[in-house]
Amino acid sequence: MKQRLNCILLIDDSEADNYLDTMVAEETEVADEVVAIERPVDALDYLKTKKDGEYPKPALIFLDINMPGMTGWEFPEVYETLDTDQQGKVIVVMLTTTLNPNDEARAKDSPSIKGFERKPLTHEGLQTIVKEYFPDRI
Amino acid sequence: MSTDPKLLSAILEAAPIAMVMIDREGEIALVNTETEKLFGYPRNELLGQPVEILVPDRFRAAHPGHRGSFFATPTARRMGIGRDLYARRKDNSEFPVEIGLNPVETGEGVFVLSAIADITERKQAEEKFRLVVESAPNAMVMVNQHGEIVLVNSETERCFGYPRADLLGQSIEMLVPTRFRENHPGYRHDYFNHLVTRSMGAGRDLFGLHKDGSEFPVEIGLNPIRTQEGTLVLSSIIDISERKQAEQALQDRSDELARSNAELEQFAYLASHDLQEPLRTVTSFVDVLQRDSHQMRSEKVGTSLRFISNAATRMSELITGLLEYSRVGREGQQVIVDCNTMVNAIQEDLSHIISESRATLNVEELPQLKGCEPELRMLVQNLIINAIKFRTKDTDPSIRIVARQEQRYWQISIHDNGIGIAPEHQNRIFDIFQRLHTKQEYEGTGIGLAHCRKIVHAHGGKIWVDSYVGKGSAFHFTLPC
Repeated sequence: MKQRLNCILLIDDSEADNYLDTMVAEETEVADEVVAIERPVDALDYLKTKKDGEYPKPALIFLDINMPGMTGWEFPEVYETLDTDQQGKVIVVMLTTTLNPNDEARAKDSPSIKGFERKPLTHEGLQTIVKEYFPDRI
Repeated sequence: MSTDPKLLSAILEAAPIAMVMIDREGEIALVNTETEKLFGYPRNELLGQPVEILVPDRFRAAHPGHRGSFFATPTARRMGIGRDLYARRKDNSEFPVEIGLNPVETGEGVFVLSAIADITERKQAEEKFRLVVESAPNAMVMVNQHGEIVLVNSETERCFGYPRADLLGQSIEMLVPTRFRENHPGYRHDYFNHLVTRSMGAGRDLFGLHKDGSEFPVEIGLNPIRTQEGTLVLSSIIDISERKQAEQALQDRSDELARSNAELEQFAYLASHDLQEPLRTVTSFVDVLQRDSHQMRSEKVGTSLRFISNAATRMSELITGLLEYSRVGREGQQVIVDCNTMVNAIQEDLSHIISESRATLNVEELPQLKGCEPELRMLVQNLIINAIKFRTKDTDPSIRIVARQEQRYWQISIHDNGIGIAPEHQNRIFDIFQRLHTKQEYEGTGIGLAHCRKIVHAHGGKIWVDSYVGKGSAFHFTLPC
């Protein structure tokens, strides 16, 4: 029996994208819980807030780049200042429509960003990511 | 040792220049045929006459004195070093000469033999050279081996601000800026050791020093000129300030072009990204519907269709916004715009939003400005709409529009009591497609303020914001009077 991820966190300002990605993530059945948050600041609050005595520590975070207020580039900077028990063993994957060559170089400088995935999220794409980063889970 | 007069006479006759021998009293003792030709006197009219008959009237009085001092210490030398010498013909005409003096001992005592060369042609050549230098369009400065200025033209006076008299005899370094002065004599000596026609300071930027202390960029050509006084160097100096300015202007323009190209590239990237986003949403939901519609709950189908419809509307808004944005400054017919009338019209157009949001507008007396009316209207309207849109949840929007006249422009400010903008976001709100809020919080294309900035820039003004989070914002823009 596969061991599912505890939680997938989607951070995207687009309600439509969140709706679709949540649908895909739920249908793929790789996580117990899928949480979609539109504003990066709310996502940080979510990570910092204990629920039933524990931080959520989502196994997988999908982060959009072009977001109002705080971009996907600024998010990891703040994210990395969180206590490690709030970060957990989380893998941050940037989810973007167009990959600017500058963006890729910038992402490599950020230790939290582990990989890229093109929008829209697909069932196959999500399964590949889980296999790659959580080989013991599948 | 004495000299045989016959032998002496034979030697004089063979000489190609005029030779005159005088005795201690200054009387002419011997002349050759060249002397007769040069001065126009037959020999018999010269012999026994004082040598002063060959001297122009104006120098005649001083001549016996010079003569006396030569006889006092007779050594072979040139006459009148440093002075221009002239001789007089029988017909009273003058001509420039160069004279060599040689004491000659004879049985009858010491005589002086003068060799007189007519240098009219050389003087004419020199004069021609001087005229050429004088009429040159560049500053021309000639220096000797000691670096002393021996010749300048009037362009030099104009270029460096010194009258000629203040330059002649001075060190050339006076025209070199202080910071280069130390190295200059070294360069100068190197040049005198390798005399070739070339430009000065290959690869270096050269500057001249004006009398008023200012510096100007120059280009300098060097030409060695060999003369009887030794080698001289003629420098041709061109003030290239204008060229440098033109080069700078060209550089500025190409920098500006590169900047605007980079902006355009970024714009294309952002525009394609923001335009693709709703399109991708449509495609994604259509895919979902195609794949799953037969087993989907009607609620999910409805949601998908709502997203598709919203995305299409958004796409249309983006395209309209981009089109308007790209038109700024293109069809701007400049007219006098009465801002009071304009703001009244905007208030009428927005009456629905204003009453719905319970906003109050307090508009002070506004100026008349020159500009493109539809653009100025779009500018002010966008700012008013923003002031209403970004209101706090619990306070009715209150907007105040004021104008203030500065020296050369009007500043118009639109104050609101809305949510305000955090300092870290204030500089990017005018960039296109920059949004601070999700579409769910505040609807928008991210074009509005970029559009405002483009309009203000097209009118030669500036736009900025003062804002405090939770207290409100004041958008200011300036337009020339």
